[in-house]
Amino acid sequence: MAEKDQRIADGEAVEKEIEAALAERLSGLPSEQADAVRDKIRRRVQEEVERELRIRAASDRKEAREKEKQVEEGEKFVRFNRNFRFQHMVMFTSVILLIITGMPLKFPDFVLSRFVIGFWGGIQNSTIVHRIGAGMLIYFMVHHFLYTVLTRDGRRDFVLMIPGLKDARDIALNVRHFLGKTSERPRFGRFSYIEKFDYWAVYWGCVIMIGSGLFLWFETDVMQFLPKYAIDMAHEMHSDEALLATLAIVIWHFYNVHFNPDRFPGTLLWWHGRLTEHEMKEEHPLEYEEIMARRAGKPPEVAGQ
Amino acid sequence: MRKFLFAVVVFLGGVVLPGFARDAGAAISLEKCTLCHGKPEFRKLLVDGAIRDLFVTGDSLKGSVHEKKGCTDCHFDVNEIPHRERPKRVTCTHCHYKGNREGAPQSDNVLAYFDSAHGKAIAAGNAKAPLCQDCHGSHQILKVKNPESKVSRFKVAETCGRCHMEIYAKYKTSIHGVALSKGIADAPSCTGCHGEHRIYAHTDPKSTVYPTRVSEQCSKCHASVAIMSKFGIETEQVATYNESFHGVASKFGSRTVANCASCHGVHDIRPPDDPLSTVNPRNIPKTCGKCHPGANANFAVGKIHVDAKKKESGIIYWTATFFKYLTICTMLALIVHIFLDMYGRTRRLRGER
Repeated sequence: MAEKDQRIADGEAVEKEIEAALAERLSGLPSEQADAVRDKIRRRVQEEVERELRIRAASDRKEAREKEKQVEEGEKFVRFNRNFRFQHMVMFTSVILLIITGMPLKFPDFVLSRFVIGFWGGIQNSTIVHRIGAGMLIYFMVHHFLYTVLTRDGRRDFVLMIPGLKDARDIALNVRHFLGKTSERPRFGRFSYIEKFDYWAVYWGCVIMIGSGLFLWFETDVMQFLPKYAIDMAHEMHSDEALLATLAIVIWHFYNVHFNPDRFPGTLLWWHGRLTEHEMKEEHPLEYEEIMARRAGKPPEVAGQ
Repeated sequence: MRKFLFAVVVFLGGVVLPGFARDAGAAISLEKCTLCHGKPEFRKLLVDGAIRDLFVTGDSLKGSVHEKKGCTDCHFDVNEIPHRERPKRVTCTHCHYKGNREGAPQSDNVLAYFDSAHGKAIAAGNAKAPLCQDCHGSHQILKVKNPESKVSRFKVAETCGRCHMEIYAKYKTSIHGVALSKGIADAPSCTGCHGEHRIYAHTDPKSTVYPTRVSEQCSKCHASVAIMSKFGIETEQVATYNESFHGVASKFGSRTVANCASCHGVHDIRPPDDPLSTVNPRNIPKTCGKCHPGANANFAVGKIHVDAKKKESGIIYWTATFFKYLTICTMLALIVHIFLDMYGRTRRLRGER
């Protein structure tokens, strides 16, 4: 209630100020004209204030609804911050562009290849699109590198991404669990071995693809220093690693985040970056416990390991 | 009744006699023609001072494909002797069309010719463009298979060269020209690549030597082990080109990307060890530099038509092998993991542990 009073008081203050300004501005005009202008302005201001109030009321309702939802679903945990989500979006956009403009060159006789190249208006255009994709991927790589070095979240995540002994144990346990030898499931921290593999696969892929891609992009400049077989090697690497990366994305990554029955047809985690409390307990129990322990002011029991 | 019979006889005569009459008429006309044309000194002084030889005898057609024809079979606009005007240029299409009854080969080549670069030039009024007789000859027309024919495998280049002189000069010293002059029938002459009647400008997409079709044209022979093994030339060049970026881009319709002729030359193709060859290592920087400005000697270090599947390719082969096994092992591991995951889910769905 007090909030509303404050708002009304604010409104009154604004109105007074406007009146004062108007009086000053209109002092020279004949009274009839001045009244007309004042009326007009007053109406416009009133409209604007009303609209503003409507918007505020709507956002208040939305907030209330979300609070209600939160009570129902439990707390939301921010898994990926906005910066990281942006990186992922840049990366997948560029990778999609690169795959659809690059794969037809590896399989020119495949029936769809001609169609895909034709979609861009011919090979001249599709190679330009491929270079745009390449530019985005290079930007992503630079951005991620700076993110890893310069931000706290980036540094923490990078350290947590380093594979350890626990990951080997997790793999063994998970396989035993799949085979039904044990009902125990590996308890993952912030990053499971699956996610660590994805991360390092992208790292390796980016280094190989960008490195060899730049060789092919600036072939004449590279051959000022290196023999032709270096370009051929880059060509072979680019072509082979492209296939490996595409297969890993389409089969492995898509299974884990799309086709897997738990997630089908995919979550919006890449968009909003949040996990529910239930998902957090289910998929990253160690991280959850760590967060809870930190909140309770106790030192975490099993940090990282 | 008499009138009727007379009418029948006249009608039948009109139908049947011309058939008999032709040979007789031709024979007569040959005799009549040679009255003047049979004199060796029968010639005409033209306005520009040139002399047109008009000496023709009964032997002129002897041995040619038109041996059995008479003068007026082709010069059919001559209907009185002596003719008052110069007979028109012979129109071969009088007999040479599909469905003719004159005994000429049933072929649409004449239509193909009209559509070709030469036919179009004639239609556009270019007096220098060739008609049938410019390539095939006039009175001494022989079958293609006859080595003496102007359009036979070994002579056609010379025939084309009468107009395309510079190209003929280049071709004659090229590997194909030299091989042909040695009597190697596998070597292509002009028509081997450009086609016979269907000759188009190389900028016309219908042309057999249009940029995107060049490799297809060369590979007709160069992908054939049967032909290439005779000369000890590898056939993998075609496959390696098709797999290279140049080949793939060409397949997708790029006209600026290199085809066989861009590097090896067009009419002046020479073996790589020839110092004049465009693909001689010493000339590679210049050749590659046509499209890759700044190309240097490094462009020649390493095989050009490299095949990653062959062990001789060295480091490229090892790179390919490394990635092959990396891909197989990684994907196998990932797929096994996926199937194990699905298997586990199925078990749990069935209520097992």
